[in-house]
Amino acid sequence: MSGTVKRVPSIWTTGSTDILNTGTWRSAIAVHEKRPAPCYGACPVDGEIPIWVQQVRNEEFNAAWLTLVENNPIPAAIGRTCHRPCEGACNRTEYDGAVSINALEQYVGDMAIREGWAFPAPAQESQKMVAVIGGGPAGLSCAYQLRRKGIQVTIFDANPELGGVLRYGVPEYRLPKKMVAAEIERITDLGVKVVAGRKLTGEDLGELEKNFSAIFVAFGAHDAKRLPLFTKSDSRVLDGIDFLRSIRLDAPLKIGRKIVVIGGGSVAMDVAGSALRLGQQAQILALEGRAVMPAPEDEIEDVIEEGALLHDGAMVKAVEDLSGSLLLHCINVELDQNVSPGVIRPIEIAGTEFTLEADTVVLAIGQDPELADWEDRIQVSKGMAVVDADYKTSRAGVFAAGDVANIERFVSTAVGDGKRAAYSIARYLGHQDAVEEGFADSVKEVSFKDINTFYFPTQKPVERGKVDVDIRKAGFAEIRLGLTDEQALDQARRCFSCGSCIECDNCAIFCPDMAILKDADSPLYYKVLDQYCKGCGCCLEECPRGAMGVKEETK
Amino acid sequence: MKTDSNRLLLSGNHAVSHAVRLVKPNVMPVYPITPQTPILELITEFHAAGEMTGEIMTMESEHSAMAAAITASLTGVRVFTATASQGLLLMHEMLHYAAGARAPIVMFNVNRTLGSPWGFWPDQTDSLAQRDTGWIQYYCENGQESHDTTLQAFRVAEQILLPAMVIHEAFYVSHSMEAVEIATQEQVDAYLPEFNPPHRLDPQIGESWGNTVSQVMFQNHRRDMGDAMERVLDVAKKADQELQDLVGRGYGIHEQYRCEGAEFIITTMGSMTGTARDAVDELRAEGVPVGLLKIKLFRPFPVADVREILSGIAKVMVLDRNFAPGTGGILYQELKAALYGLKGAPEIHGYLAGVGGTNISPVNIKDMVHSAIGEKPVAHSVWKG
Amino acid sequence: MGYEIQEEKVFNSGHAACPGCSEALALRFILNTLGKDAIAVVPPSCIAIISGPQPLSSMSIPVYQTTLEASAASAAGIKRALISKGNNHTNVVAIAGDGGTYDIGFQALSAAAERNEDIIYVCLDNEGYMNTGTQKSSATPSMAFTTSTPAGKLSPKKNVPEIMVAHNIPYMATATTGYPDDLVRKVKKAMEIKGGLRFINVLTPCLAGWGVPDSAGPKTSRLAVQSGIYPLYEVENGETYTLNYGPNGLSVADYVATQKRYRHLSPEDVELLQAEVNHDWEKLQKKFK
Ligand SMILES: Cc1cc2nc3c(=O)[nH]c(=O)nc-3n(C[C@H](O)[C@H](O)[C@H](O)COP(=O)(O)OP(=O)(O)OC[C@H]3O[C@@H](n4cnc5c(N)ncnc54)[C@H](O)[C@@H]3O)c2cc1C
Ligand SMILES: Cc1ncc(C[n+]2csc(CCOP(=O)(O)OP(=O)(O)O)c2C)c(N)n1
Ligand code: SF4
Ligand SMILES: [Mg+2]
Repeated sequence: MSGTVKRVPSIWTTGSTDILNTGTWRSAIAVHEKRPAPCYGACPVDGEIPIWVQQVRNEEFNAAWLTLVENNPIPAAIGRTCHRPCEGACNRTEYDGAVSINALEQYVGDMAIREGWAFPAPAQESQKMVAVIGGGPAGLSCAYQLRRKGIQVTIFDANPELGGVLRYGVPEYRLPKKMVAAEIERITDLGVKVVAGRKLTGEDLGELEKNFSAIFVAFGAHDAKRLPLFTKSDSRVLDGIDFLRSIRLDAPLKIGRKIVVIGGGSVAMDVAGSALRLGQQAQILALEGRAVMPAPEDEIEDVIEEGALLHDGAMVKAVEDLSGSLLLHCINVELDQNVSPGVIRPIEIAGTEFTLEADTVVLAIGQDPELADWEDRIQVSKGMAVVDADYKTSRAGVFAAGDVANIERFVSTAVGDGKRAAYSIARYLGHQDAVEEGFADSVKEVSFKDINTFYFPTQKPVERGKVDVDIRKAGFAEIRLGLTDEQALDQARRCFSCGSCIECDNCAIFCPDMAILKDADSPLYYKVLDQYCKGCGCCLEECPRGAMGVKEETK
Repeated sequence: MKTDSNRLLLSGNHAVSHAVRLVKPNVMPVYPITPQTPILELITEFHAAGEMTGEIMTMESEHSAMAAAITASLTGVRVFTATASQGLLLMHEMLHYAAGARAPIVMFNVNRTLGSPWGFWPDQTDSLAQRDTGWIQYYCENGQESHDTTLQAFRVAEQILLPAMVIHEAFYVSHSMEAVEIATQEQVDAYLPEFNPPHRLDPQIGESWGNTVSQVMFQNHRRDMGDAMERVLDVAKKADQELQDLVGRGYGIHEQYRCEGAEFIITTMGSMTGTARDAVDELRAEGVPVGLLKIKLFRPFPVADVREILSGIAKVMVLDRNFAPGTGGILYQELKAALYGLKGAPEIHGYLAGVGGTNISPVNIKDMVHSAIGEKPVAHSVWKG
Repeated sequence: MGYEIQEEKVFNSGHAACPGCSEALALRFILNTLGKDAIAVVPPSCIAIISGPQPLSSMSIPVYQTTLEASAASAAGIKRALISKGNNHTNVVAIAGDGGTYDIGFQALSAAAERNEDIIYVCLDNEGYMNTGTQKSSATPSMAFTTSTPAGKLSPKKNVPEIMVAHNIPYMATATTGYPDDLVRKVKKAMEIKGGLRFINVLTPCLAGWGVPDSAGPKTSRLAVQSGIYPLYEVENGETYTLNYGPNGLSVADYVATQKRYRHLSPEDVELLQAEVNHDWEKLQKKFK
């Protein structure tokens, strides 16, 4: 036997495996990435819902409000009137019901009013001036976003006060005026010039163009549609928006005892609700079946609870003048499914004829923008101003958005359009940096299967409470109760925070290779150690909220 | 230096227990088996009486006893255990493991027949079957030698970092009473330095033992074990000498008895040596030029010494109280292998004598010598009763 | 929100566990909770492979790799040696697979429990001999496919947790990687109790052996708990039972659906398994006060 004689055995283990490069094993690596939540994707104002909801959860209410008003300056109003596509898209729907996002928004919006939170003044003033025609949600939103960028804004509005439909359409019991007033004041306090009570016409355009570098047309749609069956001059036939406006102006138009409202949207429901509150009987005749009526289900439910009679899936075929009242000859219909979208073709169902007697008929079948005197100045098609993706009309320097240019007639859509139009106007005025942050196309929206529901004990959504129906009918006081503090926090806790890391550390904790470290310098909070990551995907799986993605690697 | 006499009438096993008491092992995992049991019983008595400290672990098996012995040893403390026969075989896996782990455990084994069928008789097959496990092996012929060799074994094992097995046979040694001179505590303390290995399982050090190795690492490790075994020969001789300096008793790693001028040498291991010694005396008196070679240190096998001692001798007769079916006596095989290619190598007679514990008397041995002298050896072991 | 887990870095990156391995994950929580004043014993198993190839170790504490059947005895040997040197603080932990615990090492474990050796014994239970290529162990559950039970195992899993309770040891707990805070708490509790054998059975799904994706370890472990197959509980001194996480309405069908080792099961088989699980759960439930 030979060889070197070693006094001590040579094979005690002294090194560490951390010098090894197990990263070479993988074919894909997990990456932390902020991903869009479906609520965000559905939100007409591109609201960062997961972010502000998380701030609510953390009881950082002012921060939550600031996040909200990045995209929407009127959360108290939207928190009451939004058609809530976010909740429809919410990943939690599949689990135990959508997060009550809209109620939370109202909660934060109301708190801001209560607390008197103001918008920060623009960092820099610009000399550029923009005229905004129409101070409804679209105009207000645009003015606000322009002011934030320091651009000078003047709003011209036909009405004595700003707010558009929010002030003169939606009834008090759904949206108290004082809320609208407070939110508008907060916007005008940013230094917006207001010229109220002045209805501009197409002729004013030349004048405006002299004084302003850009013009934003947002005067909504206020030309009520009529049915040929009803003569214009008949005082027993009213337009819904006129009726509602008259109530808002404390000078309600006279109506009879028996009211028949024709229409299936928000306006019809508001008319019915208002008529009931004025002590009259209301029946609603809607072309669509209840499930597909344009009015949100809860608005329909409200008026039915309050005593309205709904005849859905029906239409008037003939009107008989009973001298005094009108007798409406109606029939049930089905909507033809084989038509292109946007077209409505009712098919009568034989043998379902019925009649309704009305002292007053209120028409609520939609409104068109009043564009007659604009048509030779900007391109108009299908009754609306034509705009491109940047909200530019056919006339240089003239932009349009909101009901005047969009068939989607929603408050939040108007606010979103107004915001995006403001960015476009700012760019037009030379603010090249006025670009909204968004997600790259390659980043996938978080779907329910990306959520690790283990981390979310089931908990039912809580909606706003409603005032007792008898009290409701007795007046115009607001019918929905905002969330209590406790309810709001509970709802905020339900949010999965889809796609937005909340630093729960799960990715790091569940890594069998300790390949994920906290990284204070990273906007995504963590770093993945290339040397060790074997690509197992546990981090991805254990991320409760889909705030990670995979990057394929080829070696 | 020789201190006051300290003589006790003791069984071979108890002589071992006394040595263990003096050595003060920190950990002693034990498990009973006849005829080893008295060793552990006396140890536990010492312990109960406060004459010994340390941890006695009453294990559920010899396998676990050895498992615990290994880790205790690797944790850097002195460890002792004892077993016999089936127990030793149950440990087999762990014997290799202990040697690979370079754990200087000292274990006493009392040779006993292996089942099946059951028997309780002296037979060295149990320990000889462990000859390739990497353990140092000492065979003793009486209680005194077992006592002294146990002390030596600690000294050698801890210096070399290989485990050591000290062995005597059932009943002939384990249970027979004789006067045994017990070393004093001062002597043993002077003889055995504290065991304090630089590499051990210790959070302060952080080193681990036993991770999977590559082929080359494994080979190197085995070579290191071989080198260490090689060094045992010298270290064991020195350890014997040093003990002799302290207590006045020494054995060498082998013993030549009346080999001057011998032409015929009897080779034995263990208790047979005493009988053979008597036979040699009688044969010498008869004028037969017979000597005796006792192999005490069987692992490592003292190949060079044996070749030197037996070179020029005409005949060697190996007595094996063990039997490996298919090859025969194990000492016989070892000796043949050791002498292979030696110039003037002796003829070798391999006799199976006392297998299963049958009694072999001096007369039997003398008869064997006489017949061997007159015969040509055959190439395999021959049964002699 | 999120887990609050304090770790002292003992388990190192660069180890050789399969991507996503639950044993590695369990080791992380166990070792990083034990901290540096500890010595580990590891028998042949995937754990041994994870421990590292010489001269590298994935564990920054001394690790002794023992033989398959000897973990408890080996750990006891270390502990006794430490005690003999007056060291009463260093934790000695055996970390063994289910084969090394339920089968071949059970004798040594039972004996160490009977002697009440002052060690922590953790079984990383992946329900089979995985290191040797997925053979059946006595921890393999009924009907599961392994390479030695190609038609599915015919007998139920041995109930080692309850057997350990019957030893009246100071602490017995079941845990799993899908509940890391619970696992860490149990390791801490085991450390605090001291003075006897503490046993923790940690269910660690084997991705290849069970036929689940690399990312599914923790998820599968939770399914086992939520379906009532593997309730998480702890028992002190052989009598005080506490339930930590039990079934929450998921069924055996939910559990087996995600695992290839059960893919040969008929709906009737699943019902039989469900009956077995119900029976075991009813029996266990009676023990919680
Ligand atoms: C009764 C009613 C209830 C509704 N309820 C809901 C609801 O609950 N949820 C929902 O999402 N949507 C609802 N809508 C639709 C929604 O209100 C509109 O889509 C939204 O208000 C459009 O905003 P806008 O800024 O484009 O227009 P508007 O809100 O109509 O604002 C236009 C503004 O321009 C002013 N203006 C008009 N012409 C001129 C002019 N020539 N010169 C100067 N100023 C002018 C008007 O006075 C008005 O202030 C409702 C609509 C009505 C009518
Ligand atoms: C005595 C003995 N028999 C067999 C083996 C082979 N062997 C090595 S690992 C292993 C499987 C151990 O299974 P388990 O304890 O469950 O650990 P796992 O591999 O599943 O982590 C076996 C059988 C061995 N090392 N020792
Ligand atoms: S759970 Fe939260 S983040 Fe996810 S979709 Fe719903 S609201 Fe948005
Ligand atoms: Mg296993």
